[in-house]
Amino acid sequence: MTPPTSADTILLNLASVLILLCAFACLGSKLFDRYLGYYALQSVLLSAAAAIVAADLRDAALWALAVLTLLIKGVGIPIATRRYLVTRLSLKRDAAITLGLSTSLIIGAGLTALAYFAMRPATLPGKLLDTAAVPLAMAVVLLGGLCMVVRRHTIAQLLGWLIVENGVFLGAITLVATFPFIVEAGIFLDLVAGVLIMVALVSGLAQRLATASASDLRSLRG
Amino acid sequence: MTAIALQFMQSAVVLLFAPLYAGVLARAEALVQCKRGPSVFQPYRDLAKQMRKESAISDSASWIFRAAPFVAFSCYLTVSVIVPIITDEPLPLAFLADLIGGAFVLMLASFSITLAALDTASPLGGLGASRTTWIGSLAEPSLILVFFTVAALSNSDNPYLENHAVASSLSAYTLPTHLLGMVAFFMIVLAENGRIPIDNPAGSTEISMVEESRVLEYSGREYALVKWGSWMKLFLLSSIFMNVFVLPWGLGHADSLLGGLQGTGALAGKLAVCGTLIVIIDSSFAKLRFFRIAEYLGGSFLLALIGIITGYVIRR
Repeated sequence: MTPPTSADTILLNLASVLILLCAFACLGSKLFDRYLGYYALQSVLLSAAAAIVAADLRDAALWALAVLTLLIKGVGIPIATRRYLVTRLSLKRDAAITLGLSTSLIIGAGLTALAYFAMRPATLPGKLLDTAAVPLAMAVVLLGGLCMVVRRHTIAQLLGWLIVENGVFLGAITLVATFPFIVEAGIFLDLVAGVLIMVALVSGLAQRLATASASDLRSLRG
Repeated sequence: MTAIALQFMQSAVVLLFAPLYAGVLARAEALVQCKRGPSVFQPYRDLAKQMRKESAISDSASWIFRAAPFVAFSCYLTVSVIVPIITDEPLPLAFLADLIGGAFVLMLASFSITLAALDTASPLGGLGASRTTWIGSLAEPSLILVFFTVAALSNSDNPYLENHAVASSLSAYTLPTHLLGMVAFFMIVLAENGRIPIDNPAGSTEISMVEESRVLEYSGREYALVKWGSWMKLFLLSSIFMNVFVLPWGLGHADSLLGGLQGTGALAGKLAVCGTLIVIIDSSFAKLRFFRIAEYLGGSFLLALIGIITGYVIRR
């Protein structure tokens, strides 16, 4: 075991474990308000993680990314989703879950273990800032995917997708922190566009069909 | 000599300050809900009042009912001598048990109260006994796994060694094993003390009570002992949570009485942190539906399990 030494590594470690816990909390809760709260918390932690990496590498572009993450993912998306989707459609409890919460949590634990076995910190290149965060990022990606599979409601699936994106971002800043700023900024634009499209689409759907749950898709089969 | 004095001091701290901790929690919760709330010294007044009253015992109660409060109370006193509360080195009697032994002693206390609840054959006592036993049986595997996360870090199940392992290196502190174990243990602390996601500590509706309904039959001195015991349990588990998991620093040295005093001061600060956490959770979550408690405790179990797996993988 190579114990992390610098203060930055330790803080990044702490942030990534908390990010993983947020993903688990999302997976284990049933209220839309809670999903959003956990996602917002996760994004704030993610921007803290980005700030830690930025401080370590003294990279102005990464600082900008941290601020963007905080503003867009930590504040913008949760508020927009709450105002335009959760409140407008008066969503409270997510009833369209295919598996029981315990079962999905158990599967989530299995996926986390899988992430650890697939990305053993010992096999990663040694000069990374924090090797322990990489399997955690992988686990967050898998948990977000699991959220999308288990949940049938479109908004829950949207949040699962956003969690996947958070996991990818965490992996990106720990693995290849020096990638071009323009790429990451482009991803942000995509994200905003995606959320906007989802807002428009889901409100339209809900207006026309009185529901936005994908579980009813089955009845449309020919 | 100093060590023995410190040993007495540690138990005295637990005995004397446990009601204060419960009182502060109740007051803080009331303040959060925009109520005035009882004074923080209310538990002491309650204890004094109950101690003076005579206790009424049902004709059908056997010696088990009479003995249970004393057994439970002495169990909590026993735990207070073996875990790190104010000093960072084991005190003379700490050899008695490790973490798993401490858990056994706590279980014995719960067991004796459960027996007493069944003894008088009152329906509510039986209800409470069955519920707490069910919750306890779900919490136990998770608790054992938390001890394994401790063992994965410090190669022992001694709370003092874990405290040293975590306090001496920040990198050990931020390992996923430790952090996940910490969260899992906190969920158990809430469950074991009947705090909000499991049970409402201030609730007095018979049909939904869990902890309280076991001791409904008690009155007078016995009731005071039972209540005092449950406050001590909350105090003990909170201080283990803070001293072993969250803030392993600031414990006093075991070579002078001054160290004990310093440790007591630090403990007050740490319990303030833990109490704030508990109050936040108490006032922002609702009590879980009874059969969802299994999901809650399953979550705690899984977090500890993931902690152990990550410890195992990182180590190789």
